Amino acid sequence: MKAIRLSFIHMLLFVRRDMMLLAACLTPFLAGIFFRFAVPFLEKILINWIGTREVLAPYYGLIDLFYCVLTPVMFCFIAAMIILEEHDDHIESYLCITTLGRNGYLISRIVIPAAAAYIITTILLPVFSLTNLSITEFILLPATGTLQAIITALLIVTLSTNKLEGMAVTKISTITILGALIPYFIPGKIQYALSFLPSFWSGKAMQSQKPAYLPISILLALIWIYPLLKKFSKKIS
Amino acid sequence: MITVQNLSFSYSKNPFISNMNFSVGKGEIFGFLGPSGAGKSTLQKILIGMLPTYEGSAVVNGTECRGRANRFYEDIGVDFEFSTMYEKLTARENLQFFSSLYDKRPRPAEELLHMVGLENDADKRVGDYSKGMKARLNFIKALLHDPTLLCLDEPTSGLDPTNSRIMKDMILAEKARGKTILLTTHNMQDATELCDRVAFIVNGKICALDSPHNLIMSRGAAKVSYSWLDHGEHTASCALDSLSRDEKLKSLIAENKLQSIHSSEPTLNDIFMDITGRTLL
Repeated sequence: MKAIRLSFIHMLLFVRRDMMLLAACLTPFLAGIFFRFAVPFLEKILINWIGTREVLAPYYGLIDLFYCVLTPVMFCFIAAMIILEEHDDHIESYLCITTLGRNGYLISRIVIPAAAAYIITTILLPVFSLTNLSITEFILLPATGTLQAIITALLIVTLSTNKLEGMAVTKISTITILGALIPYFIPGKIQYALSFLPSFWSGKAMQSQKPAYLPISILLALIWIYPLLKKFSKKIS
Repeated sequence: MITVQNLSFSYSKNPFISNMNFSVGKGEIFGFLGPSGAGKSTLQKILIGMLPTYEGSAVVNGTECRGRANRFYEDIGVDFEFSTMYEKLTARENLQFFSSLYDKRPRPAEELLHMVGLENDADKRVGDYSKGMKARLNFIKALLHDPTLLCLDEPTSGLDPTNSRIMKDMILAEKARGKTILLTTHNMQDATELCDRVAFIVNGKICALDSPHNLIMSRGAAKVSYSWLDHGEHTASCALDSLSRDEKLKSLIAENKLQSIHSSEPTLNDIFMDITGRTLL
């Protein structure tokens, strides 16, 4: 436990030195303020301008969903960048043959940042949410967001060999999050073509206001995570 | 300290390491010698618990490597051929972080830095270090938690003669402190100078295992070459074990006419080529 704690603290010190990563840490707060105050303000302007009853309001659930993904994705992106930097310096393999071990390394670099993101999102969601969410949704929505962020981080660290490649893979891997848009914008059964994406079921839950879809998203995310985790473990051995 | 029995390992369907057997005693410097791709580094990875999917048995410090817990690494220090330091951090910051991972009281970083002549560069970023400085820093990182077993992978690779000498002296100093050292190298001079015993590894198999001295002596006696002046320089040679029967040499000694005389033992590289039919490089 001591090694895991110190390894995580070391990661935080590393983030403090990197302005780009430090800025990424502030994004959840800035985005939260924007979503909570700027979006309803924008909605009023659009209603007055277009003359309809609502413009953005039908998509408030989608905005809440994206907010649940945002903090975990940012935290996991930071972790992925640090892992790639450690990969460049040959440190990830070295840390695995210290008392930290492979599991300790994964916990300090992926699990703890993801858990921190989940806690922060669960705290901030009631403050910044635009819709009336149930307690179940307040607990499960950040969980789906966190698991999707872990998938993104694992895709980045598994598919890229350095930070530059990592930036490119980040763009591609965030596509997996866009599955949440499908139930909102693609009607009919054709939308199920992308039902293999965990984010699709999160979007479905918000669009149809049926939280029962959220456990499907969680289960699917775990199915994605398992092979990615195995591949990453193999990569660092 | 280390016992390996019937060890086999494969990355694919074809065996990479086949049926290896050896043991290493406490306080011994044991060398793995072989050309690139022979299986030396893979063997070292197995012994430090990085490749648990082997067959047979590999016991280090009383622990089967495939079942090691993280505490296993309290007594193992590893120095890879390449730098394993945070390039953006200073040497001192790197040493502080890595030593903090262990429960053992660390050896003082200042003392270790002084030992390798880096005390004045301790606050410099590792990224700004030369290759020799990185190699020395990497080495003392493996000593931080005062492990009983040191695994060194090509510790003198790419170093200039001065830094290579410093490195070899440090390895011998650690042996004198009672450490067991596994040395992976294809530098036969280093192996001859440092190792108590060496194992020749080719194609994942141990072809020979003994002390460098015994290996050299097992392949015939050394030769003695001598020269003398008699209307120009002449040279001759004879086997060391038949020196007393060389009449020419005896007469040259009696007449004080020898120009030069020296013995020439085969090198470990000669023995390696003799046994395996391959060079070390």
